Amino acid sequence: MATHFRFSRSVATAALLCLLPAAVFAQNNGGPRMDHENTLPPTPTGPTPMAPDGHPDLTGLWNGLADNLLGVPNQMHNVGIEVGTDTTRDIHSGVQIATWPLQNRTRQNNEQNERAATLLRRMGSNRPIYKPQYWQRVKDFDANSNEEDPSNNCMPAGVPRMGVPSYIAQTPNYLVFIYPGQGGLIATATSYRMIPIDGRKHTNLEDLDGTWNGESIGHWEGDTMVVDSIGFNSTSWFDQLGGYFHSENMHVIERLHRDGNTLTWTATVEDPDVLLEPWTTTPRVALLNPDPKAILPESLPCSERDFAHVVTKEHH
Amino acid sequence: MRAKEIRVLAKRALMIAALAPLALQAARGQSNSPKPSTDAKSTAVGAADDTTKSSGASDAAKTLKVAAEAVGLARWSGVGGQRLPEVDVINTMEFWGSGSSYGSGPSNKPGEPGPAFKTEYHASLGYNPPAMRVEMTRTASGAAPQHTIEVVRDKYAWDESEIGAGLLPGKGTATPAMAAANNRLLQLWLLPYGVIKAAIAAGDKMKASTEKGATVLTFPLTGPLADVTVKATLDAQNQVAKVETRSDNPTLTDLLTEIEYSDYKDHGEIATDVKSPGHIVRKQGGRPVLDLQVKTWDANNPYLVFPVPENVKQAAAH
Repeated sequence: MATHFRFSRSVATAALLCLLPAAVFAQNNGGPRMDHENTLPPTPTGPTPMAPDGHPDLTGLWNGLADNLLGVPNQMHNVGIEVGTDTTRDIHSGVQIATWPLQNRTRQNNEQNERAATLLRRMGSNRPIYKPQYWQRVKDFDANSNEEDPSNNCMPAGVPRMGVPSYIAQTPNYLVFIYPGQGGLIATATSYRMIPIDGRKHTNLEDLDGTWNGESIGHWEGDTMVVDSIGFNSTSWFDQLGGYFHSENMHVIERLHRDGNTLTWTATVEDPDVLLEPWTTTPRVALLNPDPKAILPESLPCSERDFAHVVTKEHH
Repeated sequence: MRAKEIRVLAKRALMIAALAPLALQAARGQSNSPKPSTDAKSTAVGAADDTTKSSGASDAAKTLKVAAEAVGLARWSGVGGQRLPEVDVINTMEFWGSGSSYGSGPSNKPGEPGPAFKTEYHASLGYNPPAMRVEMTRTASGAAPQHTIEVVRDKYAWDESEIGAGLLPGKGTATPAMAAANNRLLQLWLLPYGVIKAAIAAGDKMKASTEKGATVLTFPLTGPLADVTVKATLDAQNQVAKVETRSDNPTLTDLLTEIEYSDYKDHGEIATDVKSPGHIVRKQGGRPVLDLQVKTWDANNPYLVFPVPENVKQAAAH
């Protein structure tokens, strides 16, 4: 039931959204944290398995906790808002944020819940710094994302917006990343990446046709896998929220570090055409699915059904 | 056949999804009332007229929570049945307004405003980090418009010849204005959301009382404004209606300000349920300096950034 659709302001859609996490939970034991009471990163446990070549083995189903866009807690974790029981912290700035315990909450309707969720998802301080001439464009894209988001209509999210791969297979010469299509914040088709780690060099940028995922090549820096990507189109946005567009000269450096049953992922975006300085995502910590028999379920075809019902600019 | 199964599943799922949040909320013992809790209200509107009554720390905290909820600052979401606590969701916002500002020149009567300027006002701001950019176009009768952009971020203050000036070669001029930093920061912290955030940050130093039937919050600011004490009066809806500052520090007397906020509602083009004032009147030294009707207030944490130009950093270092 890992269905795909755009999330809009309609009540029916909101109700459907409630279903997604339950469906995903049914597929694994480390699913998105919809009912979690905090957004703290998981504490790593267990040994880090090593591949025959002496590097950490990243193989596994990393669909627990971080980066799954289906739940507000996951989304807040992804933007660096650490919510504890009675404390909240922006890990990028270190700022403490006022927090009131769960008790005595007044009832809210779906509209109120969704408006609050929109604010919660975008309260983080870690924002890319664009050149001033693009500030208004970013704001406009974000404000009009119901119409402008390039992942609408089941288009790919692209690198690095896809975030942490849900599944990694590691061989001596390749990594394979799988990203099942997602509902919730961004509705995308299932995507995969085949990433050489055999020491080859990038193709000249001028010889590459720009694509959503670019040309990715990996190498080890100590125990950290570094995936370097160039050769993008200029269509995608590079983070889950915010209207963060980029040029064809975007260069993305992803870092994946395994510690026991956790995988920490970051992406650094360099784009001197539009950014004043490189920008790095807040670290996202994914949890290994503990079920050795767990598989990624088949994703149903991505089908856009909500736009006809969108009547306001309210968005994620 | 498969499509039919999916439709049936989706129909069942919709029903479950629609019912589940209700069941969860009931199980958690949540109130059905959209109003603040009784405990909090007793602090907010408990005293008779013409009396001043202080409240304990617990009541003060409840009062503050009610005030935070009244403007849509303290929020939680039940989307998907998630159970995170209520948090302060306000970071960035911007608003536009028009009205009058007043110069510091002589007026005809004591307490009356100085020369008036027709004023277009646009403020973009953030609390994490604390920063504010105020763009004003002021036009005196028969004179050419004056356009100013004043920015502050943390300890840095500067004036811009255009938005984002000084960050790229050939893109405008950023003129350091360090002496204005405290005054600009004060404008940020005296907005309704800044008042609540600062009151929370004051911890035990924040006192709640009632004066003439209205709830009053009194607390000191922190950092470079630590010698400034804020007195905030809430209206009947627990929204910040009036803010006054005082200080015993003679170097800060220029900052003493009185601001009145009224006509609260969600002024955003995109609804957020954040209530913002529609009318702002600011006075300094008892004289009006700004009288603003708000047109739009975007509280949806929009993309607003305040990078400090290198020359401003260098000026601050010397």
